[in-house]
Amino acid sequence: MIFYTCIADLVMALPQSLRSSVTPLELELIASEQLVEIVPLISMEKTAFISGAYGPLRPPNKSRIPLWMATNLKQKKKCQIVPPDWLSVDFLQDRLNQETSQQEFSNLPFRFTEIAKVILDVASDDVENADKVRSLLKDLREARQAKSRDGLQKLDHSELTLSNLCAMEINEIRPFFVQAMGVLTQLVREPTAE
Amino acid sequence: MEDDDDNFFSSLNRPVNNFQNRLRNAPVDDDGDVPIRDAPLFFQEDEDETPLQQLIRHWMNERHAPDILPTEEDLLSRLLDHIRSQSETVQLLRSDPSSSEEEHFRIMLAQTEVERVKFIVRSYLRTRLFKIEKYARFIMTNPEVQQRLSESETDHARRFARLTDQHFYHSVLQSLPDTQQTLDDQPPFVPPMVTEPEKTRAVFVHARQNCAPVRLPDGTGLEMQKGHISLTPYATVEQLIARGEVELV
Repeated sequence: MIFYTCIADLVMALPQSLRSSVTPLELELIASEQLVEIVPLISMEKTAFISGAYGPLRPPNKSRIPLWMATNLKQKKKCQIVPPDWLSVDFLQDRLNQETSQQEFSNLPFRFTEIAKVILDVASDDVENADKVRSLLKDLREARQAKSRDGLQKLDHSELTLSNLCAMEINEIRPFFVQAMGVLTQLVREPTAE
Repeated sequence: MEDDDDNFFSSLNRPVNNFQNRLRNAPVDDDGDVPIRDAPLFFQEDEDETPLQQLIRHWMNERHAPDILPTEEDLLSRLLDHIRSQSETVQLLRSDPSSSEEEHFRIMLAQTEVERVKFIVRSYLRTRLFKIEKYARFIMTNPEVQQRLSESETDHARRFARLTDQHFYHSVLQSLPDTQQTLDDQPPFVPPMVTEPEKTRAVFVHARQNCAPVRLPDGTGLEMQKGHISLTPYATVEQLIARGEVELV
């Protein structure tokens, strides 16, 4: 058996850190496939990409392209990103109120953390009142984090419903929750064994 | 590094479709006779998944599932074809000295995307490779699992299992008493020596549609509605994952 634990360490197909979880950067990569609206500053004919056909880009008409493409163009100052409706002070304030007054998680896009981060990183000048948006996101995060910690009390060996939890939050609680459920599973299994 | 990748992608000798022509002629494609897929809406989920979205889903499923999932060979080879033809187009356009600034941006974006997709393909394959090596012995004694592997993956599992067995035998086992030389003991009260996927490990599932009811470990039933997110042991939702009704997140 000792030998087998040795093998686990020898296996290098996937680095240790990636074996039980995904990284925030990988989540960002996935989220960047989603489409955003942009106002292009260059024109481009309709072009076929692996993920689909985008364009034509004709300033100043809006167009929808994947977030990674928008980030790329934005960094070269070739477009402005139109932030999604939910990335605004009004919307986030409303969600924060819900978050602090209700027990359930408020309903936000599944990958809102990643998308908000990417847009605020490269295109904060396109987001109205970006500082306020940032601080609201931070408050939301804290309010929701407290709730997911409370959720741990309800954990049993069989199922835990986590409606409206988003990708990044799941990833954050994953190691602890998975392990905790594993321990609970072992505890119930014991009496029936042998 | 670059060379390795190129070999890797071109080693699957498959016919190159005329994608580069499509890319070049994209502006005149508006008449609609060329099947270029229109981009999906922002929060439209699931329906009409593009091949890339499918691969991303399978990639994440594979990353989170404790067991090895069925190989997605067809999907993978379709995407590899696509990657190759896009790369060729990029090369072609790059060597064209008369390319305009607009062309320049298209090349840059196409190339960026190729790199992104390559990353996902690579990570997906490496995740499987990791599991194959970890469970090599288990796979070789279990034909049902072998069916989920591609031919080259089964081959790798076989050779890896043999190699480690030989290594253990020559380095240690041969000098032990006969009764202690086996590698597949199942002594009571301790885990078996052959590493098996831990199917009771909990996973986070996200329902892509309304799902068929499943039975939870505590005996109650669960019927997930579309959008539902749950933390539950892998064994509970194994069938739902196989049918694509849920995805792991």
